[in-house]
Amino acid sequence: MSGPVYLDYAASWPVHPRVAETMADCLGPEGPHANPSSSHAEGRRAAQVIEQARESVAALIGAAPKSIVFTSGATESDNLAILGAARAGRDRGRHLVTSRIEHRAVVDAFRQLEHEGFEVTWLRPGPDGRVAPQQVEDAIRPETLLVSVMHGNNETGTVNDVAAIGTACRVRGVLFHVDAAQGAGKVPVDVEAWNADLVAFTAHKLGGPKGIGALYVRAQPRPALQPLQFGGGQERGLRAGTLATHQVAGFGVACELARADLPEEERRVRGLRERLWAHLQTVGGTWRNGSAEASLPGILNVGFAGIEGESLFLALDGKVLASSGSACNSASAQPSHVLRALGLSDLACQASLRLSLGRWSTEADVQRAADAVAEAVARLRSLAPAAALERIR
Amino acid sequence: MTAAPGYSDRVRELFMRPPHAGSLPPGPGRVIAVEAVAPERGAWLEVTARVEGDTVVEARFRAWGCPHFIAACELAVARLEGRPPGEAVQFEPAALARELGVPAEKFGRLLVVEDALRALAAAPPESK
Repeated sequence: MSGPVYLDYAASWPVHPRVAETMADCLGPEGPHANPSSSHAEGRRAAQVIEQARESVAALIGAAPKSIVFTSGATESDNLAILGAARAGRDRGRHLVTSRIEHRAVVDAFRQLEHEGFEVTWLRPGPDGRVAPQQVEDAIRPETLLVSVMHGNNETGTVNDVAAIGTACRVRGVLFHVDAAQGAGKVPVDVEAWNADLVAFTAHKLGGPKGIGALYVRAQPRPALQPLQFGGGQERGLRAGTLATHQVAGFGVACELARADLPEEERRVRGLRERLWAHLQTVGGTWRNGSAEASLPGILNVGFAGIEGESLFLALDGKVLASSGSACNSASAQPSHVLRALGLSDLACQASLRLSLGRWSTEADVQRAADAVAEAVARLRSLAPAAALERIR
Repeated sequence: MTAAPGYSDRVRELFMRPPHAGSLPPGPGRVIAVEAVAPERGAWLEVTARVEGDTVVEARFRAWGCPHFIAACELAVARLEGRPPGEAVQFEPAALARELGVPAEKFGRLLVVEDALRALAAAPPESK
């Protein structure tokens, strides 16, 4: 019961012990140490480990193994999908569509494409944080090349109807990319049902190691992608570089474990999240950012009237490990672009906190975290001028 | 931001346990209340000071802002005690920023402290 409560699963999960064991085996003296591209016996052994993991990773999202490209993580996957598809298709169209609530890995890739002469339509979500499929349909033009809308938002947990958006793209012949970094392994993902051409996800947000992720690239019809790096032609020429066998193997096991008990874990974590929200509501002056209904199971984004996020963070230091809704970088002091897109004021953004649960979260964690947050909020409110409590919300 | 950024032990202590947090109720002497408000800059400060004769005998504050700002408020308000209210104008934001290691991007918040102390110094003297 000692130590802080870890409620930052949306940022990264602890590595599952069985994943660590698999990786250690790979790195041990008897492990598949050879280059998986080598044609000798040891190379083939390493390649076999890779291909077995590829099957497990593909199965998690309802894909064929040959459609999985291993990368260093979701950021690289998003970049490869967005920059790769746009640059490969620039002769067919220079219009792109995305939303204002995407992860920075997507936002910054689209900003780069704006610098390269592409026109980007930035869709604003509704107050519940969702991008409506009709918005996407309305934004698509004859020259639209690519649509990118995330599955579950990393700050609010709100889930978009990507299947409907994918259908709208498919009937218009527009490529559809989905950032599924938060949802993969937590809720069922079926890339076929989504009509997605490109789907990015990562290992470390589902119990695997950092430094390994995947990009689903539809096999038939296969979208044209320009690679971001060049070299040995690995991953069907889309991602050059020697594959890290231990990382890939760990990713595979993490996907197997996530898939094995996904329905039970989804229910359990969602239940814990709702109990946490119920506890926090007793603090008073609280609000929930994003949709409660269409949401990933583990993410809760809460605002506290009269609270400054950085101070709440320090007040919780050593008790609860979470993420601020106010900034990715305290030095920038920039309010969250996601919460602002939902229509929150800068002050309300700063008063918000993301608490995210996962596989190892318990009922006791929820109680301890709620007590710690309640105590910290009460202390900071007692310190604040009365008028500030009215205005900061 | 997934962890509390770097704060010195002193800032942590002043933020977590500020002895001068609160407001002064009416009592002996004259109580001066001033306020400086700039939520868009991340700072909101109320100061109350009890003045007896020409000396601040007690001072308290209420603040909304980041830990650096709250620590700066505590230190600045503590230093009012035992001095004439007019000396509050001698507050130097740059010196306090150095003392507490306040990052440059937060310096504007210390100007809010300065505004409050200047208002205190400018409060009309007690009528005789």
